[in-house]
Amino acid sequence: MTMAQMPVRPTEPAPPVPAAHRRGRVARRRRREGLAGYVFLSPWLLGLLGITAIPMLLSLYLSFTDYSPLIPVTEANWIGLENYRRMFTADPQYWHAVRVTATFALIAVPLKLASALGVALLLNKTMRGISAFRGLFYLPSLLGGSVAVAIVWRSMFSGDGAVNSFLSLFGIKGEAWVNDPTWALPTLMLLAIWQFGAPMVIFLAGLKQVPVELYEAASVDGASPWRRFAHITLPMLSPVIFFNLVLETIHGFQGFTSAFVLSNGTGGPVDSTLMYTLRLYNAGFVELNMGYASAMAWVFLAVIGTITVVLFSTGRFWVHYSDSEER
Amino acid sequence: MLPITRSATHDQPTPALRPTRRRLLAAALVAPLLLGAAACGGDDDSGGGSSDKVELSIFWWGADKRAELTDKALALYTQKHPNVTFKKTWQANQGYFDKLATLTAGGNAPDIFQIDDNFIAEYAQRGVTLDLQPSADSGKIDVAKFPKSLVEYGKVDGKLAGVAMGENTQGLVFDKTLLDKFKLPAPTTGMSWEDFIKWATNVSKVAKVPGTQDPSAVYQALWVYLRQNGKDLYKDNKLAFDEADITKWFQLWKGAREAGATPTPDVIHEGNDSSVSKQLVVTGKADTSWVWVNQMPELKKNTKSELGVIAYPGDPSAQWARASMYFSIFKGTKKKDAAIDVVNFLANDPEAGKILGTDRGLPPNLDVRAQVAASVTDASMKQTIEVQNELGTKFGPTSPAVPPKGHSKVKTELVRIAEEVTYGRSTPEAGATAFVTAAKAAIGQS
Repeated sequence: MTMAQMPVRPTEPAPPVPAAHRRGRVARRRRREGLAGYVFLSPWLLGLLGITAIPMLLSLYLSFTDYSPLIPVTEANWIGLENYRRMFTADPQYWHAVRVTATFALIAVPLKLASALGVALLLNKTMRGISAFRGLFYLPSLLGGSVAVAIVWRSMFSGDGAVNSFLSLFGIKGEAWVNDPTWALPTLMLLAIWQFGAPMVIFLAGLKQVPVELYEAASVDGASPWRRFAHITLPMLSPVIFFNLVLETIHGFQGFTSAFVLSNGTGGPVDSTLMYTLRLYNAGFVELNMGYASAMAWVFLAVIGTITVVLFSTGRFWVHYSDSEER
Repeated sequence: MLPITRSATHDQPTPALRPTRRRLLAAALVAPLLLGAAACGGDDDSGGGSSDKVELSIFWWGADKRAELTDKALALYTQKHPNVTFKKTWQANQGYFDKLATLTAGGNAPDIFQIDDNFIAEYAQRGVTLDLQPSADSGKIDVAKFPKSLVEYGKVDGKLAGVAMGENTQGLVFDKTLLDKFKLPAPTTGMSWEDFIKWATNVSKVAKVPGTQDPSAVYQALWVYLRQNGKDLYKDNKLAFDEADITKWFQLWKGAREAGATPTPDVIHEGNDSSVSKQLVVTGKADTSWVWVNQMPELKKNTKSELGVIAYPGDPSAQWARASMYFSIFKGTKKKDAAIDVVNFLANDPEAGKILGTDRGLPPNLDVRAQVAASVTDASMKQTIEVQNELGTKFGPTSPAVPPKGHSKVKTELVRIAEEVTYGRSTPEAGATAFVTAAKAAIGQS
């Protein structure tokens, strides 16, 4: 792994010895330290192999079989590309799930990043008690993908939930939210957007890295706040925006927990919240068609991988790195 | 705790903290791995026990009440056989079968597990369950006192895949307190579907509470309706109905919705989506819910209202005594004999039967059932027994076979498609076509 090959600098100065000698000793020492590095990495490496790599390869094999979790892996029958064929040509629910997931990611991710950046800008101030505010805004993300939050959300956004009680104070008759096929997905998106704390914290850290003299110089030149934002903050922040965009896009596509809880595991009403991962889970664990679920997972991996590569390749046009030696 | 820098001033940034391309890449690569690793919880499940002492793992779904009763019954077994102890796991119905499948995939299936007719065919055909026929033949599991149909309902491909732990039948539960308050008549067994809908429409009008949950997505209601019309849900592992039957069924309830007999679509969905304890009759969002009679005590626990229970509308002889759930034994268990003895004990021991009551359905052993009926004190259990015994006299001669593999998918497809019709996103005709196609695919019928 690349991390193990990172040069490790000796801590003590080497005693003066002839140059040829020294090279040999340094090389030995490097090797020894390399080995030590691997030893220290071994918990992670073992985890990577045992928990991630081997099961992943196994699932690639299973995606060409009719494996059910109720039978031993050795008894699964090889059926070639049948799972993939069925997925693309004979399973309308599959394409429905793709549409739901794409809609979710295309709307929720940009809105979440925009809220995160907006709040980060507001919180990037010197003020009494600002740390407390930052903590409060981060709180929803600490609760993160937790089941508890989704359960609360579900009850708040039910037909007779807290949200509608609140709206009725103003004489507004609210929708049935999670029980209405039109509103269930937007409610799910709102939950994702509300948990903007993680990207917000990263934005906040990024904002602090913007050299203050740039703003000072711009102000002296008479730049308006908007121009300062558009021409200093955004470009300087672009690596952080890029980082958040990549992570949140991947995260958005993988959304599972809240959809599962909000719909009681069904993706309902009438499949309106049937995220890709939820359909995958149901195929594998409810319909016990694990071979098919594995095939779905590999297609998913390929698609997310492609999207990430595309994002990286667009990055060169709009992401500005402050350290030029990396170019 | 919070990864936020305390100082809010624009300090001169240290060059080392500036985001660089390589650092961002590394972080982007590592972050998902870390998150992934954190998401993998550990599920520790180890069997064990020496030759003398036996610890049996047992797994069931249900509410608190069932756990309490099952605990007591198992404690009684341990009291009689001090070398046998239990590792008990239980949870709500939702997610139970996901967990059971996962345990099975890992080779860690519990020695004894509860199962129902949604999955018993699948588990038996995949060779997960131990064939209990030899134990039944040798009398180690005594089914002599069981109604014959109840034993048959546990057989898949001629093998006894599970021992019925209860018998139940469809029950239409209504809120009697609400009806009395408005001096409305109670519905009665044998009412036609049309009369029932008229009755429900009247309840909606007078009591301002929808008369009935819309059962178009409730598979056991559709099943009774089909049997009343000379059809069935399955026959010989194939669908035993056609599009015309489903169209009629969806149209019947479309009419009921338009007449105002049922709640709004979102509330119907809420009812379809809920566990026993949140059925609309309990939450007060409809006057009747479509359940199984053994669920009466659980429903009663969640409402102050007095509840009544009758058969589903139409001819009650279309209903049947169904094995509500079974205990099955894992084929790979190393403690086969002990597990068999425990299952036999739970099904036939009079004391155990008395403890378990009707929580899983009427006791399968008729002697135990009579004894429980005579001594039961819980009012709603008493009601369950009376109603089921009374309906039992009306059942027809034939009861359906165990549903085929894929039945649970058929059920979820019915909910999805029936709701498309209730939300007005599909017509009864289009819904019927969609359901027949989906149900065929689910059970692998070409």
